[in-house]
Amino acid sequence: MKILYRTLVVFVLMVSISCSKNSNEVVVYTSVDQIFSEPVLKDFEKETGIKVKAIYDTEETKSTGVLNRLIAEKDNPQCDVFWSGDPVRTIVLKNKGITVPYHSAVADDIDLIFKDPEYHWTGFSSRARVLIYNKDLLKGVDVPQSIFDLTNEKYKGKVALANPLFGTTTFHIAALFSVIGDKKAKQFLNDLKKNEVIVATSNGDVKKRVMNGEVACGLTDTDDAFEAVKEGANVGIVFLDQQGIGSLIMPNTVNLIVKSKHSANGQKLIDYLLSKETEAKLAISCAQMPLHKGVDTPKNVPSLDHIVPMKINYDQASQKLEEIQDYLKRWIDQ
Amino acid sequence: MKNKLLYTIIYLSFIFLVVLPVVYTLITALFADDSFVSNIGALKSDTFLLLAKSIVIAFLIAIFSTFFGTVLGFLLYKMKTYFRGFFKVALLIPLFISPYILAVAWKDLFYLIFGDVSFLSSNFGVILVLTTIFTPLSMLIIGGAFSNVNVQLEEAGFVITNRRSVILKITIPLIKHALISSFVLVFIFSISEFSVPAFFGVKVLTTEIFTQFSAFYNYSLAILQSALLIFICIILLFSEGKHIADASFLSVGSKGMKNQSYDIKRWNNTGLTILVVWFLITVVLPFVVLFIQSFKEGASKFIQAFELLLPTFGSSIGLAFLGALIIVFVGFTAAFFSARQSGKKGSFFDWLLLIIFAIPSTIFGISLIKFYNQPMLDLIYSSYMIIIIAYVGKFSFISSKLIGNAIRQIPKSLEEVAIIQGISSYKRLISIWIPLVMPSLFISFVISFIFSLGELGTTIMIYPPGTEIMPIKVFTIMANAPQSLTSSMTLIVFSITLLIIISFYFMMKPFIKKYHYAID
Repeated sequence: MKILYRTLVVFVLMVSISCSKNSNEVVVYTSVDQIFSEPVLKDFEKETGIKVKAIYDTEETKSTGVLNRLIAEKDNPQCDVFWSGDPVRTIVLKNKGITVPYHSAVADDIDLIFKDPEYHWTGFSSRARVLIYNKDLLKGVDVPQSIFDLTNEKYKGKVALANPLFGTTTFHIAALFSVIGDKKAKQFLNDLKKNEVIVATSNGDVKKRVMNGEVACGLTDTDDAFEAVKEGANVGIVFLDQQGIGSLIMPNTVNLIVKSKHSANGQKLIDYLLSKETEAKLAISCAQMPLHKGVDTPKNVPSLDHIVPMKINYDQASQKLEEIQDYLKRWIDQ
Repeated sequence: MKNKLLYTIIYLSFIFLVVLPVVYTLITALFADDSFVSNIGALKSDTFLLLAKSIVIAFLIAIFSTFFGTVLGFLLYKMKTYFRGFFKVALLIPLFISPYILAVAWKDLFYLIFGDVSFLSSNFGVILVLTTIFTPLSMLIIGGAFSNVNVQLEEAGFVITNRRSVILKITIPLIKHALISSFVLVFIFSISEFSVPAFFGVKVLTTEIFTQFSAFYNYSLAILQSALLIFICIILLFSEGKHIADASFLSVGSKGMKNQSYDIKRWNNTGLTILVVWFLITVVLPFVVLFIQSFKEGASKFIQAFELLLPTFGSSIGLAFLGALIIVFVGFTAAFFSARQSGKKGSFFDWLLLIIFAIPSTIFGISLIKFYNQPMLDLIYSSYMIIIIAYVGKFSFISSKLIGNAIRQIPKSLEEVAIIQGISSYKRLISIWIPLVMPSLFISFVISFIFSLGELGTTIMIYPPGTEIMPIKVFTIMANAPQSLTSSMTLIVFSITLLIIISFYFMMKPFIKKYHYAID
């Protein structure tokens, strides 16, 4: 019985510690990899004195944790701010009535294309979809310059992309459908399948397969590609279709959750994330490209001014994504 | 009276805290929006084909694990093989490491050796990795049964025939129940496993459930597909229920029976070779791969990994400790009343523990969120209590089986004598039952502690904001971190688990000595 009493005492203590309420706090859920997001949130905590309680997730797990959690918590939200690595998830939340508009003046000089018309979400530091290739396996003119080159016979069985039902790959495919139309996009995917494209489990997996030389090239995000370079791998990066439809640009997005318990602190955190300083930090840590003008960035981080972007409307691309999901599932199962 | 009151409190608490959230979620998901019929209609032939594929894969894993587990169990529990004390503990290690982490290590190992991992990213890879993970479980179950084989039957056999015939015709048939238990449990673990098939890109029913859940946000269909899995598990357990309930698997010691160990010099060397090879393949090689990758750029990444994980040690170990204590308490209560009562209430508690155990982690996590995320239940939802509830739901079944088998081995005559002496039921519990099952309580605690420490699937769905939990931190940092940092973090978790197993082993030695009467 003594053990039982001691257990109960410890339990009550732990519960009371974990339940201690602090009004000067903000709860943030993020799908941005913890290794990059945590330092920014810690800096916010230090600079403002507002305690940040975070839930992290990762694209490797397709962000199932936070997104499903936000949906499941809809009627009694615990989260104040959702910081997403791409606009898709935020738009899913907006469509489910989980976000609330917040217009941050800090982001006024960010292009309107990177904001929701009703300010349910605002974009900042962006990544792009790129081709990563192994320099030992592909050289000179053999390196693809267009996404459509990947259906070429000479790349048969040598190209990888992550599962298109999840993460940024879904968004990339949905963007293609909106830009080139359903018929051409389906033809492209079917040709890719005929060319024995390898469907990897994640963008990180694509990166690893290219680094190891298991495949010659693959589609991934800039942060994965730059990480491979940082690790000293003999890989190159190509922004595809610079003479054509352009590369897909994917901003981080941030939004306020409806009925949030610390909305004032949530707004402060949103302002902080949308600042030039945060963009500069993310440019250093994970080579993300700032959307503000005049942000100092390391030399290896390309400027958006020098990249031809794919011309898309993020809301429409998100809608397209919902339309094509059944098709994509059939495509994978083929 | 005191005992019954305690049992009723634990029983009702389990129903309200753990079972009710699942029932609530199942009902709301299945009957939400449209109707039950339209959700059933969503189950297409593809789903059943995937179910068939999952069954075949799980079947093969269960067969292989049971076969290797029988060989290892025989060598460790039935023969006087050299260093068997060491191997009994060392070979259990893969069981306590996250399957995902071992899958990563195996893939890296194959890449280092063969430079090509394509053949591992297949059904073969899933079967290989999961067999190495679940063989220790089979070894434990079957080894326990070998220990409990009645020596008198074997000795009688030796009078008329040779050792080979005794083993094949007496010993093996006597452990039939354990073989079936091993097969059934490994099958259930394998068919519910998500991380390894997902990592190797193999489509099975669990990955399909995940797709419905995370790509289509179709909770109803995901839960219905999960119900198929649960149904299969229940059917299997129901058909073999007698074996599972009666078999002395996972038992600590064999009360009242002397174990017959074979001491055959020729076999001892072969046995030792088999044990060493298995140990090298399933424990040493993955560890070496992680070690090489962690330190290929010096010690800096290892130090960084340690600093990142340091804040998680206290809360993770504290929660696992507390969770394991409560799990043992629930497991003991369920097992005690189930073993001592022939009433339906006792066995119903067993079934409840089993059903919760068979539910996929993500579905269990969502059930807890949907049920507890109410303003009046905020105390539970936003505190560590939600994690403890998850641990208790997930692991009480194993604890109850482990303790139940120990209880069944205690002769009823001991209690009958105490009753004649007029000793109260509470005093009998404290002075007879608990001391006699103490080693099993301890083993149950250790296993629950290690499982809780590594739990990821449900915890990642429910952990309170701002909480630092070790497996979650490893998982979320792993993405996009350099390979050396990832391997270092895995190596640290691997080493901590190993250290805890070794510490418990040495703690257990004097403990078991003290309670030797409960084992011998």
